[in-house]
Amino acid sequence: MTPSPFANEPVLELRRASERARLTAALGELALPLRVPVWIGGDRRDGDEIASTDPGEPGRVVALAARGTPDEAAAAVAAARAAFGAWAATPATERAAALLRAAAWMRERRPALAALAMAECAKPWPEADADVCEAIDFLEFYARAAIALARGVPLPQMPGERNELRYAPRGVCAVIAPWNFPLAIPMGMTAAALATGNTVVLKPAEQAPGCGLRVVEALRAGGVPPGAIALLPGAGDAGGALARHPDVATIAFTGSGPVGLELLRTAADPVPGARGLKRVVAEMGGKNCILVDADADLDEAIPGIVASAFGYAGQKCSAASRVLVHEAVHDLLVQRLAGAVTGLQVGPAREFSSDVPPVIEEAARRRVRDYAERAGAEGTLVVAPDGRELPSAGWYCAPAVVTGLPPASPILRDEIFGPLLSIEPVRDIEEACDRVDELPVALTGGLFARNPRTVQRVVARSPVGNLYVNRSTTGAMVGRQPFGGNRLSGTGTKAGGSDYLLHFVQPHVVTENTLRHGLVV
Amino acid sequence: MDPQALEPEIQRVGLALSAAFPSRRGHPIRALDERAMDLASQDDELRAALFRFVDVVPACRSLDDLASHLTGFLDDVSQRPPPLSAAMRMANTKAGRAALGAASAAGVRHMAHRFIVGADPADALPALAHLWHDGVAASVDLLGEATVTADEADRYAQRCARALDTLAPAYAELEPQPWLEHDALGTLPRANLSVKVSALTPLLRPEAPERGQRDATPRLRELLRRAARLGAHLHIDMESLDSREAVLELVLALLAEPEFATGPSAGIVLQAYLRDSPATLDRVLAWAGEHPRDQPLVVRLVKGAYWDHEVVEARQHGWSVPVFERKADCDANFEALTRRLLSARPAIRVAIASHNLRSVAHAVACNRVLGGDDSDLELQVLRGLGDDLGRALAACGLRVRAYCPVGDLVAGMAYLVRRLLENTANESFLHDQAHGVPLQQLLAPPA
Repeated sequence: MTPSPFANEPVLELRRASERARLTAALGELALPLRVPVWIGGDRRDGDEIASTDPGEPGRVVALAARGTPDEAAAAVAAARAAFGAWAATPATERAAALLRAAAWMRERRPALAALAMAECAKPWPEADADVCEAIDFLEFYARAAIALARGVPLPQMPGERNELRYAPRGVCAVIAPWNFPLAIPMGMTAAALATGNTVVLKPAEQAPGCGLRVVEALRAGGVPPGAIALLPGAGDAGGALARHPDVATIAFTGSGPVGLELLRTAADPVPGARGLKRVVAEMGGKNCILVDADADLDEAIPGIVASAFGYAGQKCSAASRVLVHEAVHDLLVQRLAGAVTGLQVGPAREFSSDVPPVIEEAARRRVRDYAERAGAEGTLVVAPDGRELPSAGWYCAPAVVTGLPPASPILRDEIFGPLLSIEPVRDIEEACDRVDELPVALTGGLFARNPRTVQRVVARSPVGNLYVNRSTTGAMVGRQPFGGNRLSGTGTKAGGSDYLLHFVQPHVVTENTLRHGLVV
Repeated sequence: MDPQALEPEIQRVGLALSAAFPSRRGHPIRALDERAMDLASQDDELRAALFRFVDVVPACRSLDDLASHLTGFLDDVSQRPPPLSAAMRMANTKAGRAALGAASAAGVRHMAHRFIVGADPADALPALAHLWHDGVAASVDLLGEATVTADEADRYAQRCARALDTLAPAYAELEPQPWLEHDALGTLPRANLSVKVSALTPLLRPEAPERGQRDATPRLRELLRRAARLGAHLHIDMESLDSREAVLELVLALLAEPEFATGPSAGIVLQAYLRDSPATLDRVLAWAGEHPRDQPLVVRLVKGAYWDHEVVEARQHGWSVPVFERKADCDANFEALTRRLLSARPAIRVAIASHNLRSVAHAVACNRVLGGDDSDLELQVLRGLGDDLGRALAACGLRVRAYCPVGDLVAGMAYLVRRLLENTANESFLHDQAHGVPLQQLLAPPA
């Protein structure tokens, strides 16, 4: 089987009223709460120890999930290990076919899946739809990439010997997923592991077990054997137990820096019974800067910055949180940007008219508000978060813009993951590059400039994993913009790129002597 | 309509228009512009470099900065004509850069003046009066930076209000031009302003059209009231498909308010390059049938100026392309819409805005075959691009209006670049005409 060339799943054309109506109808049809079990092979244990709620309406329970225990983590790994041999031996094309059928399953349910992501994680409609599309893209992309990878790499051949390099799966992969792309990211990490012949235990984020369930349902509906993909909803203890387990060969993680570093430490220290070094694929946080040169087109830069910083309330790892702007246009940019941010509408994700949805949970709101308060104390809030009328229920944070922060301010270093943006003037673009270079993280970056030489200069100096020139810094597309950070932002892997799969395999080289008593056979 | 009668009439009108085109000789400055445009249209890389330069000129802070940008863009051009290679060498010295920066800025400003009639409405009055004197009416379009804040939307609305205040009395003093002031349905306002909804609100959202509509409503309502008071015409431009829903809803809802049934004269735009434009016309005509107005709604039919944007956006998102990708399909749709519009009178008034000789001749011929007087059809051209066609139309006794951008160079750059793109696109009629494509071919039915 040779699949057609990869093409991204088209997002809905939401400028058309008929498309918007499809989504709204799907929300009405959503039967909640979902029951999310610990699901190992054919065994389901339902529970209600974890409840995910609508961030815009915290009284509304979206999913009731069992909380996986460390014992269940061990059982899930054991089941995955038992299933490994057969799945690893399944031809890559057959594994790919199962992933493509999973993609088709999701495609048939796009509005319903978007509605779930919207309800559980307050993803505004366009982003919820894009999340579903990205999950489909990962399935389609990795299925194809794994077929290509299975062909191996040609090696030089000498008379009398045959050299072969083949990629073999590593074993059981623990996938520890975040809530901010509640379908796409767990599906991406899981699909990469499965496509290459690994078996998977997926632990979705505590905030998004309902979406995690749909990921596993899609894969099983596509024909991935039940033993090859287990669902382990739970909290940090379940994730920790997975990561420590001697039979887990690979940990695929997307989330916060501290947790990622903890996983790397865990992986580095083989426990008794371990039969290999664990590999960690980690995507962690950033402190993403957008640089604006004096020749930038502010008519484009301002909407680009607003979308990058305040889309999904700033809760994307790619979101921008600092603007470094040439002093010649600093005041104008601040004034126009402040006006644009003031006009943003804070409201429920389900309203197409909302610009800034609520943040994921109460603790997040507290954190963002604390930072905003600190921003007011240390600098000047050109857009203050208070004084705005917010919906009474829900974890809403009004957008804020701060200038004049002291260089040592934690607001310029910490990943806040909320709608708070700082602006700093720089003498020139070199100084902006210096400030970016001082950061220990390097995920995404943006540049608004029109002189091609400036663009070349920043490209050469930029440490970030994904640099966006004259556009917003979010919305990487599978295949087109392989995504991932450098430095402390991650292990340097690129989700949605073909080399991503190399992290889920180990190369085996076989050299066979074909010379028998002087005869080449 | 009898196609047997129509086609020969189209050919007759086309030949007459062609014969009425002014001679090119005696306009050295225009010849210079055309040489520059011609140079740009020959090579895609060079065209891109020059447009990117034109676009950034307003943001350059010094002559040195200008020269640095120019040479930066030219770096990307693999085959440079000799004058540009010389420019690159000049940039090696500071004095050379100053000279190069000054020369290039002057060049861009000169080009911009061809398209922009004045820095503000008062400044534009002599040029507008001159046009009127020559038998050409105008619609003024205020150029400006994009609107991203509520303040900017208010400022644009104020500029529009002041423009109406300036234009109405100024036009009132001009000599009578009966041909431009009446059709079978009555009096036509002299002062005419085109406005952009994207400038009247920062809140246009493709997936939430009601948001921009709601925000722009009070500003547009005030402008309509003012236009009604001053007896001026207000035309609401159409932009990219992302905002069509909001713009159409906004205008049709506002004009349906009882206070506007008696005025002002107002209009909307129909973009023929959109595949679903016939359905949009259905909606407009249904509305016009339900909402009789003392001064019927003017529908300006255009090809559409956001073709590249629509194609790129659709391709990037994997959507079906909403515009015709074959020029002949677009031209055929333009003609079909023209026929429907002309047949829909008197519920609406019709303005045909095209630089395509065939499309224009077709509209004029249709109107005649349908029994209309020439004054019952308005033809529109763009200042700077359609000047010769405008003169030819006026010379043939047709009613013509020039769309006249007003604003400073900085504000006008984005607009200018769009116009330049249109002018140098290989399939454009103006390009064909300049390159001696036989008249017979220019007047052939789209196929």
